[in-house]
Amino acid sequence: MGKSVAEELREGVLEFDEEKATKAAQKWLESKIDPFRAIIEVLTPAIQEMGDRFEKGEAFLPELIMATDAMNAAVKVLEKEISKEKLESTKKGRIIIGTIKGDIHNIGKNIVTIMLMTAGYDVIDLGVDVEPSKFVEEAERSGAQLIMASALMTFTALNMKKIVEYLEMDGSRKKYKIVFGGGPLTEAWAKEMGADGYAPDALKTVKLVKRMMGS
Amino acid sequence: MAGLSNRVKKEDLFMLQFWEVANRAINTGPLMRMKDFDLKIFKMTSRLIKEYGITFDPKTPIPSENDLIDRLFEAGLKLYVEVGTYCIDTERVIRFSEEEIREALRELQAMPDEIDIGEGVERRRLFKRKIEDPRKPLVIGGVVEDSPKEGRDFVQLYKSIAQERIIDGIYYGPPPASIEGKSWTIASPLDCHAARSAVSWMREAIRSVGRPGLHLLDACPSALGTISACFPENGLRKTDAVTLATVSEIKTNFELLNKVAYTLHYGCMRSPFWTSIVGGFGGGPEGAALVSIADALNALMVYYVGGAGYVMVSSILQNPPINTARQTIWVRNVSLQALARNTNLICGGGGLTSGGPGTEHQLWEIAALGIHTSVAGGHIIHGARKAKLVKPNQGTGMEPRWEGETARASAGLSRADVNELINFILTKYESKIAPELAPEGFSFEELYDYEEVHVKPHYFELYLKVKNELAQKGLRFN
Repeated sequence: MGKSVAEELREGVLEFDEEKATKAAQKWLESKIDPFRAIIEVLTPAIQEMGDRFEKGEAFLPELIMATDAMNAAVKVLEKEISKEKLESTKKGRIIIGTIKGDIHNIGKNIVTIMLMTAGYDVIDLGVDVEPSKFVEEAERSGAQLIMASALMTFTALNMKKIVEYLEMDGSRKKYKIVFGGGPLTEAWAKEMGADGYAPDALKTVKLVKRMMGS
Repeated sequence: MAGLSNRVKKEDLFMLQFWEVANRAINTGPLMRMKDFDLKIFKMTSRLIKEYGITFDPKTPIPSENDLIDRLFEAGLKLYVEVGTYCIDTERVIRFSEEEIREALRELQAMPDEIDIGEGVERRRLFKRKIEDPRKPLVIGGVVEDSPKEGRDFVQLYKSIAQERIIDGIYYGPPPASIEGKSWTIASPLDCHAARSAVSWMREAIRSVGRPGLHLLDACPSALGTISACFPENGLRKTDAVTLATVSEIKTNFELLNKVAYTLHYGCMRSPFWTSIVGGFGGGPEGAALVSIADALNALMVYYVGGAGYVMVSSILQNPPINTARQTIWVRNVSLQALARNTNLICGGGGLTSGGPGTEHQLWEIAALGIHTSVAGGHIIHGARKAKLVKPNQGTGMEPRWEGETARASAGLSRADVNELINFILTKYESKIAPELAPEGFSFEELYDYEEVHVKPHYFELYLKVKNELAQKGLRFN
């Protein structure tokens, strides 16, 4: 007996196989079962399983990235048949993330990004060496609730303060929660720079975000 | 001329010049998204680990199998041929053919395997060490990053390092976090001022302890900082060196390439370093080791270190970001061994610890770093410091001194003996490396008499306790 479409979809994520996930998603659509159930009942648990494996040290960051890519490929197929409102309801909140101007280190930021994605957040990754004004513009454009910036060097971390300054200048500081993180930073320093939160590593960051976003 | 082909290829006639490397970064290298580059590293390491049979045995952090070491080098070379170096500013990949890399390695063999560092009576010959080399390593220690405050704090702290007779050179930088009381950011006018001030304070520190010719290894993060610090009168001289970081994994940018371009003209030495991440884009310890070899080839091909400097090999855990975990000790150790057996690079290692200065926990971590680096053919470069500094002025002369003493005491030991010793040392701290468990340590003022620059008795007694315990284990300190 062949595998069910749900099994194929799940395997596509857990085997980081975009093609398999895409084909399974197409099959799901052809089966006329509600595509929203594929996201809620198959893809979300599969990516959460990958997140758990990463937390336990049983999976590596690139595997988590590839699993997320496979899931996104499947969602891209399924979302054609799901209303925008319903799709939005699966997300716990929208987050802007990036490494601050002057800093090109991306591994810590990537880990946090992927961990938040697997936890169900809609994360917009601006990349590295990002101008402070860009964080603010993208938050405004996308309707994000949280802005997160990282730095690995103290002399670039100072640029993070400008995000807060821009928001205060625009009168929109209260619209967003702000989290700063990165190797050399401390909680006291992040608070001094005007952040609402700080976490020393990716796992604690996810817990912090859940608390801050009330999810 | 039997065995030699008469067919001359263009690449036989020209040694690959840095300007061609820069051209590949700027104009001719293939365009690639950074994410694709990162994932390519993982896919390649996963394949090559299997193909070359590279395995990490947690019980053997210091392996003695030459065959494994040589397979690792070949796998790392294949990785570098496949992926190259990513230039973040241009999103281009600097690629080299296998022939170009092997030719550069042959050229390296033909170059002297020793260089002179420092001046006058402080001149030292830094040489390529071998595995289990009985010749004692040099100590270019320091490493307190931007922790010391500007001015007198900076001078007093570095005096504590320079006055240690075991020190052959000092690694310092980046400059203090503020200059004239103002925070500086990278490549800004205050960066320029901070870099120039920091090197002047370094000169003051080494002059004041009577060692004006001591070799300096500068770690300004920007090219502007490096250029500002290079001036023979009171700054970096041609007998000094500048660091060249490799962004994890196997990436560079214009700040770093500009440093290469400038130092090629100025004539001082270059010291590339890298930190392959266990749990990063290479995957586990085996993948991180392959990445580490690729980083070494980046140092040779892109940073032009051959005959012009020395490298610092490093690996950290993704969390906590330290060099003293079992896996990261293995990664550095096998990398150093592979480079010692297969290249003419002058290598070394420093370290990021979980515990802070003035704690027994950190003294054990430093001992592990010094001993395993030495047996694998390394010198002590960068010294050791707490990975995450939690207070200002968090470093003293005792840490590089201790690392140097353990490294020199273990010169000539066998890898098997060192493996046993490292397994013993790991029992002293391994269970407490998590940030919430590791002791945060103390500041310079808490551990030293600030004015006299003398270590306080309680820290010295702690150091003697650990030293005696290691002596009982057979380490012979002179």
